[in-house]
Amino acid sequence: MADPRSQVSASVPQKPLGFSASEGTTIEMDPMEYTLRKRLPRKLPKRRNDVYINMKTDFKAQLARCQKLLDGGAGHREICIHGLGLAINRAINIALQLQAFSQGALQLAANTSTVELIDDLEPDDPDEAGEPLTRTRNNSAIHIKVFYPSA
Amino acid sequence: MSGAKDRMRHKKMKNQPSNVTFSDRGSGGRSYNRLEHMRGPSQHSRPQQGGHSSWMIGRQDGGIIADQALPKYITASLFAKARAAEVNAMLRAVTKTTGSCHVFGALPKHMRRRSMSHNTKRLPCRLREAAHRMLARSQQAGQKEKKEQSKTKSRRARRRHGNLLLEFNRRQKKNKWLETHIWHAKRFHMIKRWGYCLGDRPTYKCYRASYRAMSTGCLLQDLSYYCCIELQGPEEQLLSALTKLTSKDTGPTFAAVQCVSGQREGSILLYRPDQYPHQPLGPVHFLWRPHSAKSTYRQLWIWAHPTLKQDLLPELQSVCQCFEAMAPATEANTSKPQAELGPADHLTAPTLSDPSSKPQNSRKRKQEGGGYDNYPAKKILGDGTRSLMTPVSWKSSKTDIVIIDLSMDVVRYRLIGPLSHTVLTETLLPATKCEVDTKVTSPFWWPEQCKNKESMSLHEQQADVFQLLKGLHSTSELPAGCVLGLTVDDPRLTLPKKKGKAASDLQGPQGVEEERRRELALRGIPAPCANSALWVHSVRDNVTNNKVSEQDLNRMKRELLVPGSMLPTPPEGRVPILLVHQAGKQHGEERQDWGCGWDLLLPKGWGMAFWVPLVYRGVRVGGLQMSLKHSQNKGMPHFPHDFPDCPAGNCFQEQQEIELLEKFKRRPPSKRTNYIKHGCLAPFRCPWQQLAEEWEDIVKHNGENSKPQPAKIEGAISPVGDNNTSQKSAFAVLRSRKVLRQMSFWCRPSSAHTRRVTRSFPTMLNHAIAMQLQEQWRRFLVWVRICVLGKGLPTLHAMLCVPTAEDLQQLRGDPQCSGPKEPRHKDHIHHLLKKSKRCKATLDCSSAAIKEDSSPTPKKEQDPGINSKEEQQSCPTPPLKDTHLITSTTVNKDPAFILTGESSTVMGSGDLSGVLERGLWPEPLPSVSSHCSRVTLGWVTQGDFSMATGRGEALGFVSLVGLLHMLLSQPADKRGTVLLRNPSSLQYRFAQLHVEA
Repeated sequence: MADPRSQVSASVPQKPLGFSASEGTTIEMDPMEYTLRKRLPRKLPKRRNDVYINMKTDFKAQLARCQKLLDGGAGHREICIHGLGLAINRAINIALQLQAFSQGALQLAANTSTVELIDDLEPDDPDEAGEPLTRTRNNSAIHIKVFYPSA
Repeated sequence: MSGAKDRMRHKKMKNQPSNVTFSDRGSGGRSYNRLEHMRGPSQHSRPQQGGHSSWMIGRQDGGIIADQALPKYITASLFAKARAAEVNAMLRAVTKTTGSCHVFGALPKHMRRRSMSHNTKRLPCRLREAAHRMLARSQQAGQKEKKEQSKTKSRRARRRHGNLLLEFNRRQKKNKWLETHIWHAKRFHMIKRWGYCLGDRPTYKCYRASYRAMSTGCLLQDLSYYCCIELQGPEEQLLSALTKLTSKDTGPTFAAVQCVSGQREGSILLYRPDQYPHQPLGPVHFLWRPHSAKSTYRQLWIWAHPTLKQDLLPELQSVCQCFEAMAPATEANTSKPQAELGPADHLTAPTLSDPSSKPQNSRKRKQEGGGYDNYPAKKILGDGTRSLMTPVSWKSSKTDIVIIDLSMDVVRYRLIGPLSHTVLTETLLPATKCEVDTKVTSPFWWPEQCKNKESMSLHEQQADVFQLLKGLHSTSELPAGCVLGLTVDDPRLTLPKKKGKAASDLQGPQGVEEERRRELALRGIPAPCANSALWVHSVRDNVTNNKVSEQDLNRMKRELLVPGSMLPTPPEGRVPILLVHQAGKQHGEERQDWGCGWDLLLPKGWGMAFWVPLVYRGVRVGGLQMSLKHSQNKGMPHFPHDFPDCPAGNCFQEQQEIELLEKFKRRPPSKRTNYIKHGCLAPFRCPWQQLAEEWEDIVKHNGENSKPQPAKIEGAISPVGDNNTSQKSAFAVLRSRKVLRQMSFWCRPSSAHTRRVTRSFPTMLNHAIAMQLQEQWRRFLVWVRICVLGKGLPTLHAMLCVPTAEDLQQLRGDPQCSGPKEPRHKDHIHHLLKKSKRCKATLDCSSAAIKEDSSPTPKKEQDPGINSKEEQQSCPTPPLKDTHLITSTTVNKDPAFILTGESSTVMGSGDLSGVLERGLWPEPLPSVSSHCSRVTLGWVTQGDFSMATGRGEALGFVSLVGLLHMLLSQPADKRGTVLLRNPSSLQYRFAQLHVEA
């Protein structure tokens, strides 16, 4: 997933702030500086056969984990692979790899959805600025069911 | 001749009667005799030449020249005399008991039994009497040491409630107990710290399990030792007074919009009035009481660590000009205007000033309903940070501000982990309403509250929000720091029969509930809901004093018609509480929101009533150790460990040094780490001041070469440009968020990832900017987080060093490489120690009589005689400061050369009167930054294996100047790479440095 904290200059036009530097020169600043802080996506219920794909864990490890769920002692008939945002690609990749390894025994059923994410915009100058902003934005997600078709 | 052999011989000869040696005056002196004399330290006069001593031949091991010449004849009288002496000596040796003189020493080993030592009848008859005597004697000796008092009363009498309380009060005279003390003492290693008895870690194994609880379950801690200070007064006056202590540079202050409304709890670092950025005091949490519509009269709670409180309270008094101490009785009256409801019940207030009423108090516990533990009695004793007689509240003559010290008045529990909201919703039930009879005034606060329509609607609102929490999947879904006030039923009534485990609800809310939950996550808890009756002094007292005791509760349970059914809530069983959300990991990119949770604030006296039900919901309980690990994993500095510039942190460091030194000295000298050989100057403390000064010098030298150019730097503007006078004095830690953010950006190695950010961050690091920052923040340290790249486990006070260009090249070639090694240093002190010993010996020989030094000590006072010797051998060396000139990241020096140079300076300084410790540097330390082959940047203050990343992680400080210097010289792809070396190792390890902002 994307980097959770970064500097953005949200152009809130209400207060152009003159900032006087210690040398006496005046630097024109952006109207308002905010720190963007992304909250984690909402945790969803997790069964044993749910796999949430992320971009931090090694691809191979995640693939192996799915493989193990399918044919290990757990022996799930179906697993559900979830991917959000940037990880959608990887989720699809993993699902396809699983299918390829199984020599056609596995089938896929993909669903897409939209997940609402929350960002906090914290003003850098907390006293002058008004309310810290909180905004929502949407991100796409994919849920792939990987299953053995019931013979 | 070795000392050990000498001692052995000495021991052997100990029981030899001295007259034996002299009795054979006539026998001839043999060469081995003289030899014998030289070996034996205890013989005082050498035997003269003469007859041959046959017993000595027998004793002589080896008998070198024993039967060289047998005597031709022996004189009977002399011979008999000699033998008589021998026999005498033997007899004496046999009768005299040596060493451990137990009776059953007379028994062969296979017949000895352990039980004989206390049951004499197990011994054979002939030894019994002697054993009896021994037993009696040992008992007498034991009794003398033991206190008589404990045996005078029977155990039954001692355990009687009143007596037990007296005993408890006696035991907490010095270090106060928290309300959960007895619970903790049964399960934890308790340590006495900051005037309290606190649990450090459980006696059972749960380190890993506690970590798991923090990351997936719930961990509970008792933080009641934190001190609460209440400020009351008009809002503007409070704010104007408090702004002197804070700076906007470090983040939101007391005046932050969301905090002032009471919606959120804030945390901030306080400085001495108008001293920012120098002289910080320490971090505090603060919480405003929500507006009460009518007036601007506000209440503010400041939560501070007990070590911080002693510094903070005088400062607060001075900025608020509150110097008039108020009598405790009037304290209740001042809170009257705020007390909207409830009859004031100041049962404990008058007793506060009367220490002598302690015993009576424990007797009339019944009337007071003191409950599980006698809390009123506890209150009399004050708390751990103030003495009994000091006032607890002050008011101002000029302003309307009142300061009240509420330490130990409010219990604070902390729940950490994503499931903490589940634990709370399971444990707590919003208070049920009472049937109100409007005519009768109830002695309890809740029935009175029920009469008030307004407060009831608020209560319903709060209960509603609380129900919504059930639908959350993780505590981190809520906005950080939000506050919820609540009134709950006595949780003891709904105590589950069995200890279970709280699990989150898998279903989640549906429909309307879902919509409201979304609103909650987005907006947070509305400000009015943050109000609670816990703010009102009289209500707190009322609740505390009217608690149903455990005993009564059990009686009520017994009298229930249907055993095991739920008790109806008694009218006094409603408790006002405050729930404060604690944000998780905010900085950095991994593990966001790790370790978030809730703080539970309770009125005094109800600690155990809530503690046990919480524990029954399957939480883990952690101690001080876990709170340290919590902040370490969260990437937050922990007070007082990580605040070396605060007075409390400084104090902590000194204490730590003493402890570590003592621990070091407990080991046998031959088993101690020789830190000199490891090139570790200060293994037990971090000379921050010296480090900051040295780096300043280094840069000055550099600056002479390249002309400093004033440059404009966006954002990074110090509020004190002209505060140079105080800047001279002491180091401080950089806490300006703007500069820190820039530093954190500069410390990242460049990659595609960071390039994206660069768009909004036009300031790239260059010399001009660095020079300007160095000018502004000269003696500043930066708090950094260090992740080891490969192997390596950082420990306390590990060194952070600048890698050379070759090191980086090596790392680039092989990312798994283990890193460079420090060449072994030479221990010159060891030589000095030896030399001083030898020198002393020769001096002794030449000067005076043969004085035997029978107790050879490894450590000796420095002798002035060595100085001359030392000066001869020491070659003239350039002054130490010049070594700074080699400021590029390569310091290629011959360590031996430096050492001799330093040893000469050390000796030359001459103030080395203290005892030299083997393996430790003597006090005036040489240059700390350039002592080793890599330049030292700073030290680690906490280091451990991080279970979250599976690698070593550490938190420490580096010199800001040094860090800038290093970053400038590093290639972009390896920026922020440092070397890390433990004090007891020569191996450097590569690590990545992060600045958290």
